[in-house]
Amino acid sequence: MKKKVLALVLSAAMAMSLAACGNSAATTPETTPATEAASTEAATEEVATETATEEVAETPVEGGSLIYGSSTELSGDWGREMWTNNAADKLVRELMDDYGTVVSNQGGEYVVNPTIVKEMDSVVNEDGTKTFTITINEGLVYNNGEAITAKDYVVQTLFGCTQTAQDWGATYASSYLSVVGGQEYKDGTAAAVSGLRLIDDYTFSVQILADKIPYYYDITYAAATPMNLNYWFGEGIDVADDGEGCYFVGDINTDEVKANVEAALWATSDRVTAGPYNLEEFDKSSLQATLVRNPNYAGNFEGQKPYIEKLIIVKAETETWNDAMKTGAMEFYDTIADGSEINAALDLVDTGDFDYVQFDRAGYGKLQFQCDFGPTQFESVRHAVAYLLDRNEFANQFCQGWGSTVDGPYGTGLWQYKEAEEWLADNLNTYAYSVDSAVEALEADGWTLDAEGNEWAGEGLRYKEVTEEEAGTYEGNVTLADGRILMPLSINWASSEGNPVSDLLSVMLAESEEVKSVGMEIIKSEMTFSELLNYMYRDASQGEQYGVPTYGMYNLATGFVPAYDYAYNWTSDPELVAQGYNVNYLFSEELDNLSMDMVYGVESGDTEGYMEIWKEYIKQWNEELPEVPLYSNIYISLIPKKLHGYTQDSFWDFQSAILYAWVEE
Amino acid sequence: MGKYILKRLGYMVIVFGVVSLLMYSLYNLIPTDPARAQLEPMKSTLKPAEYEQMYQELRSQMGLDAPLLVRYARWMGIVKDVDGTYSGLLQGEFGYSSFFKKDVVQVIVEPMKNTIFINIFSTILALAITIPLGIYCAVHKKSKFDSAVQVVTILGYSIPTYIIALIFIFFFCVVWQIFPIMGTKTAGMVYENGWQEFTDKLYHIALPVIVMTFGSLGGMTRYVRAAMIDSLGMDYIRTARAKGVKERIVIYSHAWRNALLPVITSIIGWFLSIFSGSVVIENTFSLNGMGKLYWQGLNNFDFELVLAIQMFYTVVSLIGMLIMDLSYGLVDPRVRVDK
Repeated sequence: MKKKVLALVLSAAMAMSLAACGNSAATTPETTPATEAASTEAATEEVATETATEEVAETPVEGGSLIYGSSTELSGDWGREMWTNNAADKLVRELMDDYGTVVSNQGGEYVVNPTIVKEMDSVVNEDGTKTFTITINEGLVYNNGEAITAKDYVVQTLFGCTQTAQDWGATYASSYLSVVGGQEYKDGTAAAVSGLRLIDDYTFSVQILADKIPYYYDITYAAATPMNLNYWFGEGIDVADDGEGCYFVGDINTDEVKANVEAALWATSDRVTAGPYNLEEFDKSSLQATLVRNPNYAGNFEGQKPYIEKLIIVKAETETWNDAMKTGAMEFYDTIADGSEINAALDLVDTGDFDYVQFDRAGYGKLQFQCDFGPTQFESVRHAVAYLLDRNEFANQFCQGWGSTVDGPYGTGLWQYKEAEEWLADNLNTYAYSVDSAVEALEADGWTLDAEGNEWAGEGLRYKEVTEEEAGTYEGNVTLADGRILMPLSINWASSEGNPVSDLLSVMLAESEEVKSVGMEIIKSEMTFSELLNYMYRDASQGEQYGVPTYGMYNLATGFVPAYDYAYNWTSDPELVAQGYNVNYLFSEELDNLSMDMVYGVESGDTEGYMEIWKEYIKQWNEELPEVPLYSNIYISLIPKKLHGYTQDSFWDFQSAILYAWVEE
Repeated sequence: MGKYILKRLGYMVIVFGVVSLLMYSLYNLIPTDPARAQLEPMKSTLKPAEYEQMYQELRSQMGLDAPLLVRYARWMGIVKDVDGTYSGLLQGEFGYSSFFKKDVVQVIVEPMKNTIFINIFSTILALAITIPLGIYCAVHKKSKFDSAVQVVTILGYSIPTYIIALIFIFFFCVVWQIFPIMGTKTAGMVYENGWQEFTDKLYHIALPVIVMTFGSLGGMTRYVRAAMIDSLGMDYIRTARAKGVKERIVIYSHAWRNALLPVITSIIGWFLSIFSGSVVIENTFSLNGMGKLYWQGLNNFDFELVLAIQMFYTVVSLIGMLIMDLSYGLVDPRVRVDK
């Protein structure tokens, strides 16, 4: 009997699967209209020419839709920046949440948002604190039509001054560190945040601690975005100011409020927001977000409102994005960095169905040195490594023609670079590829000996006579009979595993004949990225071996944000170094002073003073060379021909640029 | 039988305990600092003292300063967590995903639904094709059809799934445009009812299911064929035929029943695998499933998520092995456990 039951189950399984097959075919809905690939090259050229002609006279039209392919997967976490989001979630959040009092513009500069701010005053008080008083425009509303007042603008800052925010995972809620009275309110020793004031329905002020001032980017302390109290915290929670500062009315540290905040974080519809788009739907199963225009949106800092009616955010896969674009499953592929993918994208552009925008990366891949031990403690060795690598060729090969090099800690998308481009070209050492220059640098610094202390004869490793302090415990040091200590020109390089940059560096630098010919050795060790970070931070808490300086060279990447602030990066305070500041372990007083003065020694608005120090800082950095910038990518975004008026840049991303674009089928 | 099952359940608890301790210890051996990783992007915006304050607060909040065994005990729910409550596996709390910033159970629900949905169709379809095909090939051994199937199945068996997926995508999606290329939903579509949602989903998963089925045809077909050939060569088959029993009964009643014993291990294994996703298929077709989630968890050092998934699979495997052992007895009385 049991055997029959089993046989019956197996038969039923077969029948079900056949039925399922039939069903899936019968109920197939129509696909999204697919773009047809051009059949011949001639046809392609014709289409391309026509499109170019069409672009001459264009007037924006409203409506339409765009399917945006994101290389990062949406998770549905639309929490404010204090909770942090992944790139795709951040994109959706920023399309929903706008109305910041201070925003960054197309060039990455911070500007006051006139759509929101009617008036902003700032005053430095006698006690050294600084108060920003902000009056917002009347008539601003959320997407549900509810009026936005000054109270909405203090909620986020106030919440950031509570222990509750930290306990609920808002790790980046740090306003308590900068607002007067914030720490006391967080500790429970004050009933209100004295530095956060509600002055009237449309005016509020925020007082910044004296030790934060002067600060070149202090306008960022006046940045606030509205947060709807009812939506986030539920009924019964309010914000009040009785003359002593703002405080929450009602206990926010309850399970009910926590549940409300979590629901608000993850809500997939009916979100109360104030941005160009509303979240119409987030499909948790397919991880697809659909956004529609917010009719109540007053515009961005230039008063710009979106033209495109609907944006659909889908996940793009590395293996199939190209086919997805061809078939119309995806229409926009943002920020393609890989050279081979860019070339594939340009093939699509050749079909005439697509166009592209190109922009520079605000950052670069680099070789980072640790400068307090071993050969890399000597400037000459760092210079020699730079001379021995043909960086232009490296960038060209790695980015397949879609990259460039820089000679200092900047990206070509930074406004500072644009302002000082000519000066930088005249004043920086480009470390152009030259074996002779490498040899010259090394010999001038005493790398002229062999392991026996004789003159280096052109074979094997070079050595340099070093002091006991310079020698440290570096492996490979040789102590001669006469007491002299010689250090070998052997650099330990830590590389993350499976990294194509490392592979190319191995070929072009570590294993190159040029490196051997100058008497240098670069020994590569591959490890996981987290292990690499442990070595870089010398984090002995993760294992004793990490606490010992081991690797003098790392290949990493860096990115820039609009606030160019590298204060503390060159500190020599042992406590700060132990905390992970100054991971180059370059204790340069010049760099430390310049990086501090650049932001803390200049009043906000003094761009001329700031730029003078910025240039000096870059020049000093270029001389001391704690890092060798390897390549700075040129990115492209692949866009459909139907999209018009779209521009993009390092600090002007999709969520900002799409407001100015429209689709014309 | 009852006693045997109880004994096995007891073993399962012990195995689960050992595996959980091993897995937890292994992941905690990985030299990484979750508090540092979480604060790292914010470092440049903080003054050093502020960073240190936040870092220490976060470490204490995450309970990172406690010894390994204490952390394990907290994770299991044997001792109180840092918030003073018992919240571990034993209390049904599977942990908190540091990457997705919500409870692991909430993270797993949707991918698990998708994975089961896809795998059920794929498994049923594969079994529906491979079992009859294997039997047919065994019965018609060395025929032209059998030879052709052997070639095709060895190809399906040898070609990696991602290659099959890309070839199928090219033909079915790009050239003929029969199926959508990715996802489980038509972009921007707002469903009017559940049926529309179901059919749209079915339409989207059709190609991944076909690819998964195609990829799994080779192994099972050849396995069934081999088992059937062995079975058909037995003396009792010759006897049955000599007695004049109908060929259909000889094949399906005598031979297939005896061939089922080795095959059943694979069949039950397949049904258990409906809970586990395929990293390759899910990434290629942009499906939100368990394979992809597991991959993401590992890449992001989201260990509580990864541990929860692994513990779930441990339980599924242990139960699966018990079912497998019991099913042997169901199919073959000679190995039935009666005591």
